[in-house]
Amino acid sequence: MTEAKRGEGVTRSARDLCWNCQSEVGGEYFCPQCVKVQPASVWSDYFDVFGLPRKLGLDLEELQRRFYDWSRKFHPDLFQRATPEEQAISLENSALVNTAYRTLRDPIARVEYLIGLEEGAVKGIPPKAPLDLLEEMLLVQEALEGAKASALDAQTQKRLTDERARLAERRRAEEERLLDVSREWDALVEGSSAASRDRDDLRRKLLDRMKGILAVRAYLTTVINDLSDALGEDSQTHVSHRRH
Amino acid sequence: MAYSDKVIDHYNNPRNVGSFPKEAPGVGTGLVGAPECGDVMKLQIKVNVDTGVIEDARFKTFGCGSAIASSSLATEWLKGKSVDEAAKIKNTDIVNELKLPPVKIHCSVLAEDAIKAALADYRGKWGKKEAAAGAAAS
Repeated sequence: MTEAKRGEGVTRSARDLCWNCQSEVGGEYFCPQCVKVQPASVWSDYFDVFGLPRKLGLDLEELQRRFYDWSRKFHPDLFQRATPEEQAISLENSALVNTAYRTLRDPIARVEYLIGLEEGAVKGIPPKAPLDLLEEMLLVQEALEGAKASALDAQTQKRLTDERARLAERRRAEEERLLDVSREWDALVEGSSAASRDRDDLRRKLLDRMKGILAVRAYLTTVINDLSDALGEDSQTHVSHRRH
Repeated sequence: MAYSDKVIDHYNNPRNVGSFPKEAPGVGTGLVGAPECGDVMKLQIKVNVDTGVIEDARFKTFGCGSAIASSSLATEWLKGKSVDEAAKIKNTDIVNELKLPPVKIHCSVLAEDAIKAALADYRGKWGKKEAAAGAAAS
């Protein structure tokens, strides 16, 4: 596939001139004149890195294809004989491409990233956790504390394992809900029917709902990890996001 | 990340860990959480209903060292203060005392939120004895 072009309507700036020969690069990642690699600052965000629209539903195969494509083109090994500037740029670009890929391929991290992009410097009010959830988390933690104080007998172990399975199921349900809201978000972004004021309202509401779900998920994850620790298991195996 | 000596001290020797019965006379309970990290903090005050002075405070925090230290410190500061004085405790006071780094400021915010929630709960339940008595009678 060919290199992804930058979206239309992107204003030209000094950054669009090649750092080496000063000719117009027009959003290409290698200067059309001198073929030098261009710094990652030409990208405005992670979606832009892969030339993908800023949406929550992504074609993961396409994403992976473009990631491999960039990884090959920017790989520092290819620049071993290049100038120090080019080596630095290739390293910086590779790092950015890696971070962008890791963020976007994970549906949860993708939502978190999008919220950050959408809210920018004007952070919304952090979501208030539902009080009953906090109370429940506190109860689980207190029970866990009690269990830790004594030896972990088979009965306690089973109780904690069941508890963890129950909470993991709830987290999975929250993640399902997040996907539903993600689809609503994409529909809003694509659609143009509603009046702009209603759209702004709905945008805000959907962002808040996504933040609320992420918050609930964070509480559940903390308790699930604590349960795993108590059970003497590596919590990493239980925190990994579901991959789609 | 390096914790300050004061954070480590509170973490190793947390003050006033525990809880009061929620419905006990003069007890106000605040339960708050930090959605960024999933920390949960419960902070309680026990107020002398006649004088309005906080006689005792307890906390239970499930979270990082800074969250534990922030709530531990908060309970120390609350004791002996009037309810009105307690409302003036700011998260920045906690940040300064514990020398919290920027990434841990939200822990102090959590502690301030917990104090406010406990005070609000106390006021709602026991704020004015007369008012409470009047409410109970109606």
